[in-house]
Amino acid sequence: MSQPLLIQTSNLGFTYGRGDRQPALSDIDLEAGRDRYLLIAGASGSGKSTLCRAFNGLIPHFYTGRLVGRVLVDGADTRALSVGRLFHRVGMVFQNPEAQLFNRTVAREIAFGLESLGLKRDDIHRRVTEAAAAAGIEDLLERFPHHLSGGEQQLTAVAAILALRPRVLILDEPFANLDPVATARLRRVLAKIGRQGHSHLVVCEHRLSLTAPDADRMVVVCQGRIAADGPPASVLSKDVRPWALEPPLAAGASLCLGLRPVILDVEKLPLTGDAKLRLADLLPSPPATGGEGEVLLSVDQVGAHCEQRPVLRDVSFKLRRGEIVALVGANGAGKTTLARHLNGLMRPGKGRVVVCGRDTRRVPTSSLARQVGLVFQNPDCQFFKLTVADEIRVGPRALGIEAEDWIALLAERLGLTALMHRAPFRLSGGEKKRVAVAAALASRPEVLVLDEPTAGQDLFFRRALGELLLGWAGEGRGVLMVTHDLGFAERYASRWLVLGDGTIVADGSPARIMADGALLARCGLMATDACRLRSRLEAVDHG
Amino acid sequence: MVDPRSRLALACGAAGAVVATGGALALVGEYLLLWGLIGFWHRGGRYLRWLRLVVPMALFFGVLSGWAAGALAQGGVAALKLLSLTTVFFIFFEATAPEDLGNSLVAAGLPFAVAFVFSAALQFAPVIGRKAHRVIEAQRSRGIPLEPGWAALRHWPALLAPLLIQTFTLADELAEAMEARGFSRPGRTFCRDYRMQPVDWLIVAAGAGLLPAAIVWL
Repeated sequence: MSQPLLIQTSNLGFTYGRGDRQPALSDIDLEAGRDRYLLIAGASGSGKSTLCRAFNGLIPHFYTGRLVGRVLVDGADTRALSVGRLFHRVGMVFQNPEAQLFNRTVAREIAFGLESLGLKRDDIHRRVTEAAAAAGIEDLLERFPHHLSGGEQQLTAVAAILALRPRVLILDEPFANLDPVATARLRRVLAKIGRQGHSHLVVCEHRLSLTAPDADRMVVVCQGRIAADGPPASVLSKDVRPWALEPPLAAGASLCLGLRPVILDVEKLPLTGDAKLRLADLLPSPPATGGEGEVLLSVDQVGAHCEQRPVLRDVSFKLRRGEIVALVGANGAGKTTLARHLNGLMRPGKGRVVVCGRDTRRVPTSSLARQVGLVFQNPDCQFFKLTVADEIRVGPRALGIEAEDWIALLAERLGLTALMHRAPFRLSGGEKKRVAVAAALASRPEVLVLDEPTAGQDLFFRRALGELLLGWAGEGRGVLMVTHDLGFAERYASRWLVLGDGTIVADGSPARIMADGALLARCGLMATDACRLRSRLEAVDHG
Repeated sequence: MVDPRSRLALACGAAGAVVATGGALALVGEYLLLWGLIGFWHRGGRYLRWLRLVVPMALFFGVLSGWAAGALAQGGVAALKLLSLTTVFFIFFEATAPEDLGNSLVAAGLPFAVAFVFSAALQFAPVIGRKAHRVIEAQRSRGIPLEPGWAALRHWPALLAPLLIQTFTLADELAEAMEARGFSRPGRTFCRDYRMQPVDWLIVAAGAGLLPAAIVWL
């Protein structure tokens, strides 16, 4: 174990810009770097990313704003230390992998920081090889980073920082865009780094089920202040939902079973005969939506190629009125390609897609917008109006629909009423997503398609969105969501379509699909905590 | 490995030769030679995709030149020149990684920040292209008719505003990530050695000879 590098903040506060906005951080007194794995948890916009930027000197050297209090790294004030003197001691992996990979090959990407340090050529090559091995990406060294999957990009970013041998490694929402298998892979890599003890981990994340079981210490940040600090089992013994955090299912189950301290792994819960009854309210029951209604969307034998490579092969399914369907599968399985076929953005090379009786091959996408609303993963792709209200009105105006009353209702349901006169570009990630959903629903499409609607979103948004989707389906419309968030899909979708290697390999209820371990392994999926707990309860029930 | 600087000198010489070539037949010969090189390096597929962007531009340039000169043949020569010229640099950038070129120029005395901006601009052009494509898709999905055609021009703010904002955001995030890996720290080394070998000087000489040869013989 290396000598810990101590990061101490005292009375730290920071306000972005000229200091006239709400403070992003206030009165933070914290010690980091001593624990093997420190989890900083908080909802979107809580200030956790700002705190990390203060740890490695990006605040105050890169961001302008008003800094009060002090950040000391090994006793030296970061005001007096440039980022160039700190970056190899306090390494940081950012949330968006696309925006932190700027070299032609993975090997060059890893070498960049080492070149900054002025190392000799032999040392650079040796450290590149070692870091790639530690991150498990030796086979990717000559690949172009922007052609990798999200998980591979994230591991490349981790390797690029690991090569610097930082004493503190900070990761900002590292699991935000990863599928379950890539998530498990990154968790293994982080666990290995933690075990080896060369670097102490600081992980910012709101998905506690992926982080709390591995962490030694957990700090909750809420509205820029520290709301809780302690071992995860102790912090999670209290209700964390007021901080917009969703506790791991095992923690909730522990509380129901009266276990103290709480247990964070479903597999380690001691379950007795009456556990099923006591935990009944905790487990999500799948929504009873649709099934027999009129067919809204019909996908028939669709095939598609991309750069001579088959991406979709003979995909067929139907979406009926009142149904919420989740399209799940590993990164690169073809989910987004399929979603783009549903409103005519892509025309099938083979087969056909019919929406509300209209063949997508014969109708322009902009005209199909009346029938299909598509919410993209990145809301920034669409904003161009100066206010949220105008942004939401764009679709109805383009289609000649009168929708003022409906828009007001939508804004109320999605908690946007107070934001209607704000500029959409200036909103937080969660707020932008809500505007994008409202903009898609404003034209009252019969079918709503959402691409990764919960990526990077906190508990409040996930709940609001889930309730909205249930209401939308309840009004007799259809919803299809493309998602890696199997917990969300289990709670709100009555039916899952599993896409593997460009074809539908399973179509059924979440419970039936998650009962097939071989299928999950083949398609890069993993059973949810709720599913695993349910299986254990069944096993206890059957003696 | 041939030094990127000597490749650049050769590409500049070849581009100069294309510009200096007067005869249509000689231009066709040069273009066929470039095609031969592309085929030899198995870059035909990529070249054809790239041509889809360049051919309309070359045709437009040719029509404009032909109209200005009052001679259709002259327009054809101008279009072929532009096509050959851009093909020379297509081959150059297929054979040379932007950061190799930038780093070798740093070794020759260019400030690292300047070289990096140059190589990053080349590298991120396709990323911005992909972002533009996503913006168009997002707007079409909302009912804004951004399908290819003149009608799309009426809706240019719907494309341009999100694209600009995303580009600025990407630039900010990129700058932050670079800074967090010591971009501005002095004393940078490189994982590759950029040193001109005798063969590189021969290539530079060949590049320098192409322009006068074209002036004299073509």
